Amino acid sequence: MYRLALNMLFGDRAKLAMLLCGLSFSALLMAQQTSVFFGIMSWTYTPVVNIRAHVWVSDPKVEQANDAKPMRDTELGRVRSVDGVAWVAPLHTSFLQARMVDGNFKLITLVGIDADTFAGAPAELSQGRIEDLRLPNTVIVDEWGAQLMGRPVKGPDGKITNVPLKPGDVFEINDIEARVVGICKVRRAFTGGPFVYTTYDRAKIYNLGARRTLTFMLVEPATGVTPAELCSRIETETGLKAWTTDTVIWDWSERSLAKNTFWWFWKNTGIPFSFGTAVALGLFVGIAVSGQTFYSFVLENLKYFAAIKAMGASMGVLARMLIIQAVTAGLIGFGLGAGMAQAIGRVMIEKGMPPFVMYPQILFATLALTMGISIVSAIIGIVKVSRVDAATVFRG
Amino acid sequence: MSMDNPIAVSARKVEMAFGVGEAKVVALKQADFTARRGELIMLVGPSGCGKTTLLSVIAGTLTPQAGEIEVFGQRLDGLSQEALTAFRQKNLGFVFQSFNLIPTLTVIENVMVPLLIQGTKHALARSKAAAILEQVGLKGREESSPNALSGGQQQRVAIARALVHEPPLLICDEPTSALDKDTGAQIMQMIRDLSRSPQRCVVVVTHDFRIFRFADRIAEMEDGRISRVIDDPSTLEIQPHL
Repeated sequence: MYRLALNMLFGDRAKLAMLLCGLSFSALLMAQQTSVFFGIMSWTYTPVVNIRAHVWVSDPKVEQANDAKPMRDTELGRVRSVDGVAWVAPLHTSFLQARMVDGNFKLITLVGIDADTFAGAPAELSQGRIEDLRLPNTVIVDEWGAQLMGRPVKGPDGKITNVPLKPGDVFEINDIEARVVGICKVRRAFTGGPFVYTTYDRAKIYNLGARRTLTFMLVEPATGVTPAELCSRIETETGLKAWTTDTVIWDWSERSLAKNTFWWFWKNTGIPFSFGTAVALGLFVGIAVSGQTFYSFVLENLKYFAAIKAMGASMGVLARMLIIQAVTAGLIGFGLGAGMAQAIGRVMIEKGMPPFVMYPQILFATLALTMGISIVSAIIGIVKVSRVDAATVFRG
Repeated sequence: MSMDNPIAVSARKVEMAFGVGEAKVVALKQADFTARRGELIMLVGPSGCGKTTLLSVIAGTLTPQAGEIEVFGQRLDGLSQEALTAFRQKNLGFVFQSFNLIPTLTVIENVMVPLLIQGTKHALARSKAAAILEQVGLKGREESSPNALSGGQQQRVAIARALVHEPPLLICDEPTSALDKDTGAQIMQMIRDLSRSPQRCVVVVTHDFRIFRFADRIAEMEDGRISRVIDDPSTLEIQPHL
């Protein structure tokens, strides 16, 4: 009987197409918007991903990774003296204006790393060498920043094209020369601006106005000491705030800097509300369109359901028929919607904008919600069929 | 189901009313009706006389407010909805006025429906459906859409669907109203042939006087009760309302 239920569903192609449109659009909206949301939110803790260290230490009032409350350099020694610390490296981050060759200004994130150890340096350089940062007035710019800070060049056809920064190019930070010696590959910042890496000492020069420049300390635990354990010791002995750097969303610990950054943005910005609205919209559109279409499918087939009822089909059989029809439509709709979301995501990833992170959990949640829409649609149909009197089949 | 009892369907003092207060319509008033095994009995009468209601009560799709209904020895009044559903599944075949063939299913799938409702395996249901379609002259049209068939062919499919699970009672509601004279006669001949078995009884509700000649008996209804039973339809004088 259930195979026939599917044949009934697939036999009405116009209704099926309408039903699938509603369900797949809903699944697309939910999966795509949630993935973009998590993509954008993953950018909020970009510094933790780019500047790799097991433990970060900050001023106790710091709430998240983009929050700079600089400390005195002497704090380095205090942290270094904590039992279980293998080494400590200073880190400076600040937002500064860079002046380009053409006179334009760009807001950059200046990252000053320890010149001895290069702790916190980008993992991969597409051009240049990290060691060249030890040369005077040198910087490394990320690929996205190189694009943003590129200069417009007029071609022979009169068309203006943007030529990205490359090693050898020069710009200014606070009127001080910054010569590009490398281009690195790092994750983009939430602010969308370029990352400009230099040494910690030179960062102090570029950021001359700042009284304190030690934004964070990068700490490596000694062998046998876990990051969480070391964080406790540092906080107890120095009164500073220590963070772990786990960035896998379902592995976040209480001390995770990424987690705290994520939730800080969740609580203090309108991003979750905005995306939540889009996801809710997807859900409501799905319920409205699919529910309505499935209801009209049931209405059109009502006399046949009544006939089947008269022939001796129990309400249980009819309910299962409707559930199978709705769930099948839901599964196909989810597949189409999730597939489209993946395809859009692929394009987004290639273009790099907007960010797109589709966790398996997003797919499972979308599947669950799409199934929910289908079940609601089926229940609406079941209520209608349960109310139809089998005797109506004798009324013409 | 005892073979000794010649009575297939018995309705005694059946009462049925719809609505309340001033809107109350009494459809059946102490109606008595009897159908015998191996016969084709027609239920005729003017519109609104209660034919469809009586048919629904006999079919177990409506529960009467008073009276007794017995079909092949089984009392239907007082049965639960579940028991009535199970009874219909096994004992009744329906031929509807507008065929009620599901247009999104093929001919053979439509015929398989009563068997699948009973829980028959798909393959067995398919072979039984194919066999009965051959009996009603529709071999080769198994995979057609019902909409691709003529009215007469669609009604044959409906008859095949009504009989595929071999029910003792066949209920036909205006089986020829959507058919032309010749096709209607062919369909009625087929239904009449099917009634010629002591295990079966056919009740036909109709307005179509052209098919009265196929009946063994005709029960005329008026104002919610059987007004007369004609044992020899050939003697029937056609009434304008019929």
